[in-house]
Amino acid sequence: MRTFEFFAVKDSHDAVAVLAKHSVSSKVRVIAGGTDLLAELKFSPQSPNVVVDISRAEDLKSITLTDDGLSIGAVVTHSQIMQSPIIREMFPALANAAHVIGAVQTRNLGTLGGNLVTAVPSMDGGPTLMALEAIISIAGPDGRRQVPLNEFFVGPRKTVLKADELLAEIIIPRRNLGKPTHFLKFGLRKGQALALVNAAASFWVDWEKHTFVAPRIALGAVAPKVIRALQAEAYLEGREITPEAMAEAGRIAIGDAKPISDFRASAGYRRNLVGVLTKRALEGAYALAQAKR
Amino acid sequence: MDKKPTVAEKVSPLKTVQETPSVLREPVIAPLVTYPIEVVVPEVRQQTPAVGQRATRLDGHLHGLGQTRYIDDLSFPGMLYAKIKRAGVASARIKSIDTKEAEAMQGVMAVVTGKDVPCNSFGPSLKDQPVLAYERVFHAGDGVAAVAAVTEQIAAEALEKIKVDYEVLTPVLDPLESLKLETPGVHAPSANIYQSKIIKKGDIEKGFAASDHIIEGHFRTQMVEHVPLEPHATIAMWDPNGRVTIYSTLGRITLGRADVARTLGIPVSRIRIVATIVGGNFGGKNEITTEPVLALLSKKTGRPVKSVFTRPDEFIASTTRHPLIMDYKTGVTKDGKIQARKIRLVLDGGAYCSWSETTLGKACILSAGPYNIDNLYAEAYVVYTNKTMTGAMRGFGAPQVCFAYESHMDDIAALLNMDPLDIRLINVFSEGSLSPTGQTLQSVAIKESLLQAAKRFGWNGKGSADAGANLLAEENANTNMVRA
Amino acid sequence: MVTVTINVNGEKRTASVPPETTLLRLLRDDFNLTGSKLGCDVGDCGACTVIVDGKAVNSCLMLAAQADGRDVLTIEGLATMDRLHPIQKAFEKYASLQCGFCGPGVIMSAKALLDENPDPTVQEIRDALGGNLCRCTGYVKMIEAIQDAARILRDEPVEINR
Repeated sequence: MRTFEFFAVKDSHDAVAVLAKHSVSSKVRVIAGGTDLLAELKFSPQSPNVVVDISRAEDLKSITLTDDGLSIGAVVTHSQIMQSPIIREMFPALANAAHVIGAVQTRNLGTLGGNLVTAVPSMDGGPTLMALEAIISIAGPDGRRQVPLNEFFVGPRKTVLKADELLAEIIIPRRNLGKPTHFLKFGLRKGQALALVNAAASFWVDWEKHTFVAPRIALGAVAPKVIRALQAEAYLEGREITPEAMAEAGRIAIGDAKPISDFRASAGYRRNLVGVLTKRALEGAYALAQAKR
Repeated sequence: MDKKPTVAEKVSPLKTVQETPSVLREPVIAPLVTYPIEVVVPEVRQQTPAVGQRATRLDGHLHGLGQTRYIDDLSFPGMLYAKIKRAGVASARIKSIDTKEAEAMQGVMAVVTGKDVPCNSFGPSLKDQPVLAYERVFHAGDGVAAVAAVTEQIAAEALEKIKVDYEVLTPVLDPLESLKLETPGVHAPSANIYQSKIIKKGDIEKGFAASDHIIEGHFRTQMVEHVPLEPHATIAMWDPNGRVTIYSTLGRITLGRADVARTLGIPVSRIRIVATIVGGNFGGKNEITTEPVLALLSKKTGRPVKSVFTRPDEFIASTTRHPLIMDYKTGVTKDGKIQARKIRLVLDGGAYCSWSETTLGKACILSAGPYNIDNLYAEAYVVYTNKTMTGAMRGFGAPQVCFAYESHMDDIAALLNMDPLDIRLINVFSEGSLSPTGQTLQSVAIKESLLQAAKRFGWNGKGSADAGANLLAEENANTNMVRA
Repeated sequence: MVTVTINVNGEKRTASVPPETTLLRLLRDDFNLTGSKLGCDVGDCGACTVIVDGKAVNSCLMLAAQADGRDVLTIEGLATMDRLHPIQKAFEKYASLQCGFCGPGVIMSAKALLDENPDPTVQEIRDALGGNLCRCTGYVKMIEAIQDAARILRDEPVEINR
């Protein structure tokens, strides 16, 4: 690892100030958990001149209910998400997604915010938040701006974050609080594995008509970024909840996915997984809806 | 005080020893026994008192305390850190290496390249591996230059300052291509096939003629890295008397000493190798890697020099398991008795021989499986390719052929509509069976083992149709170990 | 250079290191605590596991400066002069380590687990060891040892069944 200047900031204002000061003339990177950044820097000839440590930023550490919805601070670790009573109650899928990331040691360090900023297509933090239509609150020199998660990702390892900006909060909008959601990951091993495909499904149930309301399906590792399966969602909207409909949505979701072949799996295998995981994620969300009824 | 030793005095210790009363030497001499010594050998399959006993590891205590000293846990005053620049191209001619800029860096104490190595070749059997690539690069993990610096970071930065001008050549990557005579030699003028073995038993043509069915199978396995938790690590210290002490993760010290002596051009007596506890070997630490380079850097700087492989180094610059391409052809009678088997194995040897001879022999001998086959023809070839060298790894070729012959047996059972267990019971070795190379086998308990195993896990005559298998049905591509 | 002060194994220690120094390098090179090992340097193998403020972390993925002011427990801090920690004792008794290189990391993961959960199920132990790779011994004996240590730490009589 090349050397760099190091700044530990006490809150997000401080961080933005440091970023504003250094991002003009130097390459600046933000470190929170460090599980992605340090692994990258150790084997990369390119290196930032300045590293800003936000892991002690007091205003980015909490999980709180606000008027906007559920706010998750940028430096909340995966372990904290797994153990948060409010998240386990409202979104067990989010806790499950945090549980399948890396291993205990990396979950204790790594943050949900960092997971999103790294923007690898196979991230396990992304699909559930995408299905819940999360909003990213970005802190910059001109204050905060909000970007929907599906516009936050630009491509593999690319986001809309500018050099002087910082992911500050992840907000799950109020209208989706408690929305039954299910997340599934398929990797080659149970621990320490990247997803071949991961999927999250989320919908409300109109119990009178027994139909899908506002179904949202998100898929990871099947496109340059985490995507929504829009055709499958359109198919399900207002449709009666049946096993056949869920299976059909899985088949339609295959059309939404554009996977590649690599050494972990072929594109065909991934497409097959999309169908199966979408169907099972829908089933899981429905089971949760029934339990909550 | 200033009495000079005389020649007579110099030889006297020997004399003294000879004259010492034997009673004083007794503790170091084994008690006299009369020959022939009676050796108690347990009967075959007799339970010995050792079996079933608990044994405690003597080193477990230190391991648990974190006090075991592995190579990277040692350091010496003035110690430097070395890094090795890897070629990054599979096959190339080195036109020039410019190390000036690196040498001028503050904190860089020495740089060595292939031309500094007194004898730039070693290997456990064929001496075909250079210490540092000189004139030619044979695989991407070849070292082309090494730097010793006061910190690891400076050494790493110095590597980037070393400029190597390559004339990139077309690499040979496919072992089947390499097998063809018209393919350019990886180590031209030497042939690409550098070892072969043929085992003949009976008459396969007659065997095939007597068969009701002939079935063919083609199998491939992938390259496997040992991934010991502890990466290769070395500390070399060249002393002013021309002796070198090397602390190394080496598993075969004596062999290593011979290779270090050869490459450095100094007698074995001047080399001391200290091996501490190895943090995982699995066959991957059976030969020297960077020891001579570190010794040269230490000689050049007069200081101890340490180097630890990074995890990527482990994958590209240490040995791996041979990928095998295996073609099987078997003749069976309709009731499942194997009449004849023909096998061809092609081992991807990578850029250097390493332990390929051993692997080739073992793979070929075991390729027919533990089955009585009267008519057998097995041939095996190991070829050079411009890839990471392959060498020793747990089993020396046995796991690869086991994957092939057992898969092949399943295919035969399926063809004959037989229980896969039954076809094995019909053909499997029994007490006194002859191995393919004519060895009489003793203590053979395969049949009993198979029956016990079948009983214990409730074998039902078919494979288990697990629900998860549906997911794997479409393609096997993700498993790497594919049936071609 | 950054000045880092950490409370390591109950003792306050300070070092001035380049900012890119990881906690693992600080422990090994500056504090001479070589029990934590460098296996992969990217957080896959867990050989560098230490406990920071009660949580098991990969010390290779934490900058030393990020650990400033925190409590760090390493393998060297488990045993006292006259007594092994029950986990260490159980690992010795069950021969849970072979080459031993993964051992300090595994034991620290187990310690973090038992501190939070004194009576873990086998599944919970497996989950806690998910970030620790072993290439020699396998995990069965480690799980047995951790169960045994958990019983001792809970002051339950231990059945010796092997």
